[in-house]
Amino acid sequence: MLRYSLARFGAMLLTMFIIMSLSFWIIRLMPQSIFENPEVAPEVQKLLEAEMHLDKPMVVQYYYFIRDIITKRDFGRSVKLRPGMEVFKVIASRIKPSVVLNFFSLLMAIPAGIILGTIAALQRNKLADNIISFLVVIFISVPSFVFGSVLQYTFTFKIPIFPTLYDASATSFRAMFHSLTLPIIALALGPCATIARYLRGELIETLSSEFLLLARTKGLTRAQAVVRHAFRNSMVPIANTVIPMITGIMGGSLVIERIFAVPGMGGQLVQSITVGDHFLTVALLMFYSAISLVTIFIVDISYGLIDPRIRVGGGK
Amino acid sequence: MIIDRNNLPEDIRNLPESSFEIVGTEDIRDEAFRTEPVGFFKDAVSRLTKNKLSVISFWIIMLIIASSIIVPNCTGYTYSEQNVAFKNLPPKVPGLEKLGILDGTRVMTNRRKDSLNDPTQFPPGSVIEIVKEYSHSGVEMVDVKVDFYRMVGVPEGRYHWMGTDYLGRDLCTRLFLGARISLIIAFFSVVTNICIGIIYGACSGYYGGRVDMMLTHFAEILDGLPYIVVTILFMLLLGSGMVSIVLALTVTGWIGTSRLVRAQFYRFKGREYVLAARTLGVKDRALIFRHILPNAIGPIITRAMISIPGAIFSESFLAYIGLGIKPPNPSIGILLSDGQKVLLQYPYQTVFPAVLISLLMVSFNLFANGLRDALDPTQRGEV
Repeated sequence: MLRYSLARFGAMLLTMFIIMSLSFWIIRLMPQSIFENPEVAPEVQKLLEAEMHLDKPMVVQYYYFIRDIITKRDFGRSVKLRPGMEVFKVIASRIKPSVVLNFFSLLMAIPAGIILGTIAALQRNKLADNIISFLVVIFISVPSFVFGSVLQYTFTFKIPIFPTLYDASATSFRAMFHSLTLPIIALALGPCATIARYLRGELIETLSSEFLLLARTKGLTRAQAVVRHAFRNSMVPIANTVIPMITGIMGGSLVIERIFAVPGMGGQLVQSITVGDHFLTVALLMFYSAISLVTIFIVDISYGLIDPRIRVGGGK
Repeated sequence: MIIDRNNLPEDIRNLPESSFEIVGTEDIRDEAFRTEPVGFFKDAVSRLTKNKLSVISFWIIMLIIASSIIVPNCTGYTYSEQNVAFKNLPPKVPGLEKLGILDGTRVMTNRRKDSLNDPTQFPPGSVIEIVKEYSHSGVEMVDVKVDFYRMVGVPEGRYHWMGTDYLGRDLCTRLFLGARISLIIAFFSVVTNICIGIIYGACSGYYGGRVDMMLTHFAEILDGLPYIVVTILFMLLLGSGMVSIVLALTVTGWIGTSRLVRAQFYRFKGREYVLAARTLGVKDRALIFRHILPNAIGPIITRAMISIPGAIFSESFLAYIGLGIKPPNPSIGILLSDGQKVLLQYPYQTVFPAVLISLLMVSFNLFANGLRDALDPTQRGEV
């Protein structure tokens, strides 16, 4: 297990390095000058460029880039969006709404998905199951940004109970959460449907298994048997579908943040790409990569922890 | 049973040879097949057509494809024809306008009441009814329903079925042309992915051993790269445009197919019929493509179908973050993201693309589910 974890960890670092290099070369080789500000005097530009090693050949720049990250955790400075600010700080200032948005939509999706999936499985082929299955197909198919638009129009314009855009001036957590409700719902619908669909399939299979029959024969009520025996067994695969969803939600939040003007990471990434703030783009891309790599790593390791029957890594 | 001649009764034993006769002169044959032989695809099609949802979604897909080919050519407008005087026109459809829906009217709020008599603002005949009258700080104000087409002086007989956008371009033309472009992108990216995946997976699964190990490791590293990041990076590298989107979606898109094909090869390459073919001297290439690959055709088709909505989604996603295809070309994603900006003022600009993309995604998913059930009945039942 330890050896396997170490190997996976090594692979993760390698992938991170590849992404780092890819983003550096692709973004920095784009035909866009880093400084294009006519208000800054040419001499100052020269100085700035020298300070950021921009006057040296690309290979040398690449060396400095890697060295600064590894030794100083320094990703450079933002040039256009927040001039002079360290990229690390820019990200830190933007991280809170994004984390709240992503975390709560996952937190909402899991119980909702579990409840819907369980109802569908227990009421198999009845009205409730059919309705849930229909909703599941809709929620899985329709992109989150369409839901975002629909929710925004319905609940802020037709029935104004939520603010249209994110309330950046909100001081209390409650006010912030209130303005984040709609984006959270828009993001949660897809994962919720995925969990429901998956759980329904798993539960139906478990419900017809022999150990459940045994549980019923020895005198447990249906509810007891389902909760104690069927449910637990079905949760194993669910755990492994939930963790990778984090990456999916993050992608969705890129667009949702734009729709609801949430000042988060996604919006920052989009802006930095449009404006051409290269250091920021590279750092943000690496941030996104790091999160998804860590989730993949956790999934890989957790296979063995959640279900000891699955032996990870071992030879034969 | 051997009959001993001596045991037979006297009269039978002495019968002359001529009184015997051969009974079974006709050949004994099997009964001819009265039914048509049912092959793999025929079987699948018959199963598919029994699934009502799949059939309906198939026809919806076909309808959308057909209209994406036909509609942009017969609206009478082009996708890039701008007319700023007629910008943001509401939808107006001949026929339906008499029923009071999609009739080119719009409710304008917070207008001064006396301005209604000003022909430069409200030309004669443009005001249909006053919805609400109220006074604000002593000024008489009205919400008024106007014939917007007449108000901005659109010539009689000119219709925009889905209205116009912020540059006065006809949205109907743009929507269906956008659907065409989105579908083309989806189709080509899926076809490329499937082709690469088949070849890669076939090599990896068929040759096995060291080749397999190297190919699998390479795919695994590539698969570890986060999808969003890679797509964004490649869009930045290649610049916006249809070809770049297809390429960006191919970078990691083929890995799933290659895994699937590889697994099928591992399952079938040890079978006796493959050994027999090899003994007869069949070359590697023929073994791969003629003998083993057809086993994987069912899952491959299903996978292709399931990837199409994914590709459409990715395209709109890229359009939203500003890396889509080059303007003025439309795509569903571009229309959605343009419409989003004026959602509260002109909701129809979002409604039509949103409905179209939702229909398309739901239909493709339902059809793919039906197709999977039809091609692989053992997996039936999972949604």
